Amino acid sequence: MNNIIETRDLTKRFGKNTAVQSLNLTVPAGSIFAFLGPNGAGKTTTIKTLMNIMQPTQGSATIFGTDSRRLGPKEFAQIGYVSENQEMPEWMTINQFLNYCKKMYSTWDDKFCHELIEQFSLPLKQKLKSVSRGMKMKAALVSSLAYRPQLLIFDEPFSGLDPLVRDEFISGVLNITEDKNWTILISSHDIDEVERLADWVGIIDKGLLKIVEQAEVLQNRFRRIELTLKDPIDIKHNFPENWYLPELQDRTVHFIDSQYEDRKSEDKIRTIFPNCSNVEVMGMSLREIFVTFAKKFRISEL
Amino acid sequence: MINFTIKFQSGTPIYEQVVYAVKKAVVSEQLKPGDRFPSVREMARELRINPNTAQKVVAHLVREGLLEMKPGIGSVVSELNIATSVQRDKILNDEIEKLIVECKRLSITKKEVTDAVDRNWKLDNEKGLK
Repeated sequence: MNNIIETRDLTKRFGKNTAVQSLNLTVPAGSIFAFLGPNGAGKTTTIKTLMNIMQPTQGSATIFGTDSRRLGPKEFAQIGYVSENQEMPEWMTINQFLNYCKKMYSTWDDKFCHELIEQFSLPLKQKLKSVSRGMKMKAALVSSLAYRPQLLIFDEPFSGLDPLVRDEFISGVLNITEDKNWTILISSHDIDEVERLADWVGIIDKGLLKIVEQAEVLQNRFRRIELTLKDPIDIKHNFPENWYLPELQDRTVHFIDSQYEDRKSEDKIRTIFPNCSNVEVMGMSLREIFVTFAKKFRISEL
Repeated sequence: MINFTIKFQSGTPIYEQVVYAVKKAVVSEQLKPGDRFPSVREMARELRINPNTAQKVVAHLVREGLLEMKPGIGSVVSELNIATSVQRDKILNDEIEKLIVECKRLSITKKEVTDAVDRNWKLDNEKGLK
C-alpha cells in the first residue's frame, strides 16, 4: 500500500455551507504531510471525516485502505490522533489518564511511554485540569505515541503553544520515527511551524485543495527572479503564464518563476528580455512560496 | 547530540543546508576523522527536520566519502581525502568559472577576488583548515 490516506472527491456540507469540496488528497506512506490553510478552510472538517467522527456528504476517504465509515478498533489501534480541541478527562491525574489509555491498546509500550514522560517532564501526579495547555498537549501526545501507531494525525497541535513547547513536541514526535513505517498528517495554519518537517504539502482554502506537492519539488521549481534591463520595456506583453506577480520599477523587473529549471529558464529570460544586463535568481522558503500562491490566487493568507 | 553547527536560513532546501554545514564542520575540524556522526533519528529529533531528509543527508555524505558506515557504531567521519581529478576539475574549473562570471558581472577586480581568497583561506587556517 503506497498511500496511507486517500480521499476521492470528499465533500462535506453543513446545510447550505460547503466546508470541504471534492477533495482529492493522498498521503503517501512514510511521509510527513503538512495540511495547511487559514482558519476555517476545512482542515478540521477533513480530519474529522477521515477519523469517522463525521460522515462525508459525498465522495469517500480511505485510511489503510479501509473506508473511513468502516473504521473500527483494529484500524484505530494503528492511528494516533491529537487535536487542538481534544476533550480530556480533566479530573484525572496524568498518571491515571495514561493508565486509562493503556488499557485500550494491546500494543502499548511501557518502556517507550516512560521515555516520553521523561523527555517531556510530565508531572504524573498532577491533575489534567491543573496543568498548562502545553503540558496537556504533551500528555495527549504521549498517550497517542505510546502504542506505536503507524499513522499520526495532528489537528493544529501547536496553536496556543509557546515556541519552546512546540519544539519539544516536534522533537518528541521525531523521536519515534525510527521505524520506517510512520506516516504523519499534521494540520496547521502556520507554515513556519512545519517548514523543516514536511516532505509533502497540501494547501486548502475555502474547502478547496489548492496544492498537493512534494515540498522539495515545490522548492525546486519556485525562484524569485530579479532582472536589470538596459532600457525600460513594457512588461505586460511579454510574460509567460508561469511567471507570477510581475512588477516593473524603472529598469528592474521582479517576478516569481513557478517552473524554474536552471539553464532553460535563464535562456527564456534572455529571449524575452534580450536587453537584460543582470539576472538574479533566488531560492524561496515554503512560506514565501505560499505567500506567492496567496497573492496569485487570492487565498486568504495564513 | 549534534556535533556540528547549523543555523537554518529560509530559501535554501534543508537538505543542502545540512550537507553544507557538515562539510564546513569537517574542513574546520569541528568534526574530526573518527568522530561519531549523529544517527538519522538523532539528527531528525535534534534539528527537527524530516527523517527522510536526514536519511538523504547521511546517504549523500557517505557517497561523497565524508562519512563511512562502521558496523555497530553507525556513521563516523572519514579521513580527509585527497580530491580526485574529477572533483578537482569540478571545483577548479566549474566553481571558479561561476565565481569569475559573477565577479565580472559586478565589476569586481581580479585583485579584489584574490585578496578575498587569501583572507578567507587564512581565516579557515586559523580555524584549523590545513
